[in-house]
Amino acid sequence: MLLVTPRSRRIPLALAASALLGTTALSGCSVANSEDAAGGSSAPSDTLRVVLQQEPPTLEACESNLTSTGVVIRSTITEPLVERNPTSGELEPKLATQWSSKDDQTWTLKLREGVKFHDGSDFNADDAIATIDRAVNSKLGCNVEGYVFGDDDLKLKKVDDYTIEVTAAKKDPILPLRLSFLEVVPKETSTTEKVREPIGTGPYQIEDWQAGQSINVAAFADYWGEAPAYSKANYQWRSEGSVRAAMITSGEADIATGLSPEDNIGDLGVSYPNNETVALRMHADTAPFDDIRIRRAVNYAIDKESIVASLYAGRDKAAAQLVPSGVVGHSDDLPVWEFNLDKAKELVAEAKADGTDVSAPINLVVRTAQFPKIQELAQVIQEQLTQAGLTVNLKMLETSQHLTYQVRPFPTKDDGAIMLMTQHGNQAGDAAFTVDQYMTSKGAQSAFGTPELDELIAQADAASGDDRQAAFEKVFKYQNDEVVQFAHIAHQTGMLGISSSVAYEPNSSSGDELRLAEVTAAK
Amino acid sequence: MLTYLRKRIIASALPLVVVIVGVFALARMTGNPAALYLPLNATDTMRAEFAARNGLDQPIWVQMAQYFGGIFRFDFGTSMRTGQDAAQMALRAFPATLQLAATTMIIAIILALIVGSAAAMKPNGILDRCSSFISMTAASIPDFWLAIVGIWVFAITLGVVPTSGVVGAAAWFLPVATLVMRPFGTLVQVIRGAMVSALSEPYIKLARSKGATEYRVIAQHALRNAAAPGLTVAGDLTVGLVNGAVVVETIFGWPGIGKLMIDSILQRDFAVLQACVLLTAVAIFVLNILIDLGYALLDPRVRPSAGARQRRKARAAQGPTHGSENRTLAPVGPALSTSESSRGNH
Repeated sequence: MLLVTPRSRRIPLALAASALLGTTALSGCSVANSEDAAGGSSAPSDTLRVVLQQEPPTLEACESNLTSTGVVIRSTITEPLVERNPTSGELEPKLATQWSSKDDQTWTLKLREGVKFHDGSDFNADDAIATIDRAVNSKLGCNVEGYVFGDDDLKLKKVDDYTIEVTAAKKDPILPLRLSFLEVVPKETSTTEKVREPIGTGPYQIEDWQAGQSINVAAFADYWGEAPAYSKANYQWRSEGSVRAAMITSGEADIATGLSPEDNIGDLGVSYPNNETVALRMHADTAPFDDIRIRRAVNYAIDKESIVASLYAGRDKAAAQLVPSGVVGHSDDLPVWEFNLDKAKELVAEAKADGTDVSAPINLVVRTAQFPKIQELAQVIQEQLTQAGLTVNLKMLETSQHLTYQVRPFPTKDDGAIMLMTQHGNQAGDAAFTVDQYMTSKGAQSAFGTPELDELIAQADAASGDDRQAAFEKVFKYQNDEVVQFAHIAHQTGMLGISSSVAYEPNSSSGDELRLAEVTAAK
Repeated sequence: MLTYLRKRIIASALPLVVVIVGVFALARMTGNPAALYLPLNATDTMRAEFAARNGLDQPIWVQMAQYFGGIFRFDFGTSMRTGQDAAQMALRAFPATLQLAATTMIIAIILALIVGSAAAMKPNGILDRCSSFISMTAASIPDFWLAIVGIWVFAITLGVVPTSGVVGAAAWFLPVATLVMRPFGTLVQVIRGAMVSALSEPYIKLARSKGATEYRVIAQHALRNAAAPGLTVAGDLTVGLVNGAVVVETIFGWPGIGKLMIDSILQRDFAVLQACVLLTAVAIFVLNILIDLGYALLDPRVRPSAGARQRRKARAAQGPTHGSENRTLAPVGPALSTSESSRGNH
């Protein structure tokens, strides 16, 4: 019972006040579970400070195709057997020094000798086989399995301590490219549970991860390659772009990812092509999109060059296909649909004369905040299509609702024809990762296709070398000429904030794979 | 007191059950997590394996039974997003939110007591008008805007505090300064109004006529009676902060439970969301009891013993009674009228 006399009443009040003030004083020292990380403004100059958009959910190696995980671990903590050069698109040796195949189905890989894991153990064929087996053949449910390999398992054979054979279920000319998605971990790594903090062979090893606050890594003394310029690195994360930019301008961080010019980064913002392409996907099961002339009219009605110039200050590039330059299958010769409003109106009138219901509503489905100025872009497109004589409603949806439109099975009872604004990133460097999903008749993100296009895609998938490039170019041309499922808008650019104290040249992979070993101190 | 606590716990059980069931049901109405966790081109086999791995292939009532069973073992399952124990994630984030909320409210209450009391000394005077303008402005400024402006002024232009983060005492300045504005503005208005009423009561005149100093009149007599409505509003404001200061936590990278909850909702991380909601619900329940006890400290009439005394007196006056008797405690809610307060301590 809390009974106090009037005089003694002051004591509990005083005690309560003291306790609360004590809490405040203690609070002033540190936040619960925090330690003095190296990420403060007083960090030593041998520490590279990186601020990301979000905390990685995990650093599990077989989830490295997730942007927030890959940006930390890929080629920094862990390394793949083969690595794709993001600029040239060529595959380069990493933990495998050579690879070859006689039939495009069984591939032989020679492994690098003298490589050590962060726990001191040596890397050899057993580790390479265990890595592939764990990510592709196990029941672990690795994200990279679904992203790159599908349901088919790979057959693995150890030839000797530094040679392995990998056999696909069918001919796969880009198997080495697929293997570049697998980050190598020791054979002792659990095959039944995912591992949040992997042991790798990369130039940096994990020192500590303060959940919710920061990750610290340190240069690995026994790294097989060239030692990185910075002996330590600190990752923090801030959701707000303007805060990340402020951390660069105030000197609290050296590199910030995921910025846009609106974040007030000024001259410290460096833009780079990020392999993302924005397009409109038209569902041809409903009027007016069941008439190809309307789908062509949409392409003619959108002024892509003006959009790029006015909304994105000329950084982006008007697109004619779903993959940008640098990806196998992209063609610089494929023309961007010209902006011709008269032609668009003419096509709409023709379709109407032939009985197409051109007044049927079109739902432009857009994901809120998917990329900078997306709402303005959607409004411009809505206006331009309206001028062409079409009826367009704007549907701004949050991610989970938008996903119901993005992936099969699509909604069948919408109140209009569906036109989805999609942002597609091809980080793999080969058009197969795009067209199989977006253009085949049954593709997960394809609204429709044609048997002819399916056949062209199958031929391209099986081709290699120059034939592969030519075959995919044909696929993209055929889509624009005969199918017109898509109205392409622009190849986008990303932006990094880079402080004046460091030197780093971003490339198309920087948003997904920030290789800290490539960062040096500014001269 | 034990009886009082027991009754409060029993009375709170139903709302807690509603919260537990509600968060379970509402979370699942947001959609299938597989759509977010698997690649867009994942095959049907992969989707089936994902559902089986996370128990989502079970009938909904089985999932709910497992969830309820887990609560009694304090096992909320594993985060789909991070693979970590959901309860540990919630417990790790919660202290950071509590620290932020406590610091904010202490500063807001102290400042509001000073400014509100000073303003009430001379209603409609220059000080009163200024405080009214400042408090209304403070209560109206959006957190988001204030936080960004604060970063620009104090971190970038002046360079006196870090933009964000949790390292060092200086890192507290911007989050607390941003959060303190709304409680401060609201409390100044409440305390000012209550003080104006209290200062016009007869017992204040009596105290002054007996030669009490002005400090004693305000601090010992008027403020004590004006504190009850302030405590009510402060309690509500604290509950809001304990729920998580999402905007501030997001902007300043504060690893609190508000941001964790939002991330869990956006990522359909059911286990973490359920753990966070239950933890905050329990915390708010405890907080409400503490607020009730605060009332008891301020006003003897609302103490459980006071209610029992009143009933005993009533029985003595009326003789033996029959039938049902209201056995609940005397009202502990916020509805103290000024006239009741005026009789409180005198």
